[in-house]
Amino acid sequence: MEINRRWYRSWRSKPQLRLTLFVILFITLLPRLCSAQASPASFSDLAARAAAAHDADDLPRAIDLYQQALKLNSQWPDGWWFLGSLQYATGSYEAARDALSHYLELSPNAAPALAMRGLCEFETAEYGPSLKDIQRALALGAANQPRNEKILRYHEALLLTRVGRFEDALRSYGFFANDPDPNPELLLALGLAGLRNPLLPNQVKTDQKDIYISAGGAAFSFMKRDADAAHAEFQRLFDRVPPVPNAHYLYGYLLYATDPEQAVVEFKKELEVNPSNANAEVMLAWIPLLRNDGSEALPHARKAVADDASLPSAQLVLGRALSESGDPKSGIEYLERTMQLQPDNLEVHLALAKAYSKVGRKEDARRERLLCLEMTKLAMTKNEVTNNDAIPPTRP
Amino acid sequence: MRFRPHVLSSLAGALICIAAFAPRSAAQGKTEAACVSCHRARSESQPRTPMGRALALPGANPVLKDNPKLSVRKGPYTYTVETHADQSTYSVSDGARTISVPIHWNFGEGAQTWVLDYNGHRYESAVSFYPSIAGLDFTTGDEDLKPKNLEDAIGREIELRETKVCFGCHASNAVTNGKMTYDTLRTGVTCEHCHAGTITHLIDASNGDFGSAPPDLRKLPSEDISNFCGQCHRSWETVVRNHWRGRLTVRFQPYRLANSRCFDGADPRISCIACHDPHQDVVRQDSSYDPQCLACHSPASSSPAAASPASSASAAATPQTHAKICPTAKADCVSCHMPKVKLPNGLMTFTDHQIRVVKPGEPFPN
Repeated sequence: MEINRRWYRSWRSKPQLRLTLFVILFITLLPRLCSAQASPASFSDLAARAAAAHDADDLPRAIDLYQQALKLNSQWPDGWWFLGSLQYATGSYEAARDALSHYLELSPNAAPALAMRGLCEFETAEYGPSLKDIQRALALGAANQPRNEKILRYHEALLLTRVGRFEDALRSYGFFANDPDPNPELLLALGLAGLRNPLLPNQVKTDQKDIYISAGGAAFSFMKRDADAAHAEFQRLFDRVPPVPNAHYLYGYLLYATDPEQAVVEFKKELEVNPSNANAEVMLAWIPLLRNDGSEALPHARKAVADDASLPSAQLVLGRALSESGDPKSGIEYLERTMQLQPDNLEVHLALAKAYSKVGRKEDARRERLLCLEMTKLAMTKNEVTNNDAIPPTRP
Repeated sequence: MRFRPHVLSSLAGALICIAAFAPRSAAQGKTEAACVSCHRARSESQPRTPMGRALALPGANPVLKDNPKLSVRKGPYTYTVETHADQSTYSVSDGARTISVPIHWNFGEGAQTWVLDYNGHRYESAVSFYPSIAGLDFTTGDEDLKPKNLEDAIGREIELRETKVCFGCHASNAVTNGKMTYDTLRTGVTCEHCHAGTITHLIDASNGDFGSAPPDLRKLPSEDISNFCGQCHRSWETVVRNHWRGRLTVRFQPYRLANSRCFDGADPRISCIACHDPHQDVVRQDSSYDPQCLACHSPASSSPAAASPASSASAAATPQTHAKICPTAKADCVSCHMPKVKLPNGLMTFTDHQIRVVKPGEPFPN
């Protein structure tokens, strides 16, 4: 301490010495000071320490270090990936979503990052973007391991249900048809899609769960091709008092690809339960349309639109029924309106191609045909075609 | 249209016989006999076409009669089809064990596949007969099947839904109200397969009432004709919806035709029946189709109405256009613009109905 004091006094009493020492020190330390400000070594050091903390499962520390490192180098893709995945692991979904978004700006086609961002968005209730990300991730091959695929398909199905794409959700649940022991949550989720209720399983009231689990169980038996069990379970569902809305519709929908006649019976029963069920009318129109019988389809299509004019599938079947029963020009009007609502619906473009063709709008028909071919090619690339042919391939 | 008295009396006689002595199913089966009274030429020629002979029962299968012993080895399995006294047997053996099943259903007139029943299950035979090799090979589309055992090796199991599709196209009256009806089944495509309402028409016609005649299919727009024939030959819509792609789609003529740049669903000059009469055997001579091509691709091309049997109403909706004129040739158009395409197995060749300017070395367009 005494030495330090003496050194300090002499330092203060000799200004020339002070200046000389300052210059020497400045020259000596300048390179080091510069490197401390932005040198790779410092960034590397932070990155290495972040990785070490990560390896040691010290997640808060790792997150902090990754954030520090990314302040020095925001173009570091691995940093954003690790930061996002650690934030996801710790339940910081919004922060994780943002970190993964940075990563995806640098690597736009990174399937795992898209998948994880989709899962984050699911947690933050951004269901539209979540579905989009998860489906893109699946298309890019994110389902590369059975566990990953299960997680992604399940969330895809939940989201499809949540956004009201119930038939698509059923097809996604078809992935689980080989599950030997489906858990009640899966059956509940499947039941929600089947009975057309756009809720997530955790949003269902406790006293309602039983109905959805029953419906899900019946649909699950059908999907695993146990027709007898499915029939028995559906019968139990039909016997409930009061009647369960959409139960007959669900059975009819599952049946229509293999047994359209029985499906028609079920759709008609659904209309006895709920006479203004536009979806049942849509299917009663759709089945004859697949046989090119526009005349039989037309009254059901008209009723579907009368019941719910906002339903795109009702507009579609009416457009197609008109087109195929001698009034293609009116049919085209409905179909073009439907296309505005659902530009990605293959069935709309299929119907438009045929309708344009019939009235001699050759170039419009060709454009629609080429579009359909492109859409189906993309679907094949995206592996959207499920292998479970127990589930109907399409509906309008 | 007026019919001569003797025609009416013979038609009435045929109908009385049908009505008096046969149940309805048999009556349906005998409609051709009655149809021939008025529609002689078509009723006589149509049963001899490949469509008319799309399905054969035991004893009526010239392919197997002419080839009484067929055999092929595929991997560990040996397939044999033997015919003795009108009964054919399909066998598959792994060397240690053999499964033999009688052939009841012979599908196809040239190339032939068999639908087999074994232990309560129905199968499409794993191997088929191909005229190009006068022998057996894997059934087209089933080449990649990997049988796990001898039972699997019989063929591809088909469910009821597919059975209905198979019989629905290769037979008549096989599916009624969505159910398989073997008792009313008639082999091949018969009159009532395409002309719905034939029975009513026969009964009414015997009373001099021709108002209930089945719709004249020639009056349909080309788009509808394409969809009508496409019920069996696969429509454009069916192929697209099922995501079928690749060289195998050359078998689906309505689909391929609709993909042609020149296809116009309102122009009767380009439709299935503009080139093919389904009541006649298919014409194989390339030059015979030149008039159909030149109906559009000629400076002096005729009006659509004159170029086709379609109605004037349909023709009136058609723009009077002339297509490009071929700078290379004036004859045998289809030899260049509708190339013959071999299936991937090399065993069958189809004319590609996607009409186009074919460029050397270009891949199969799809």
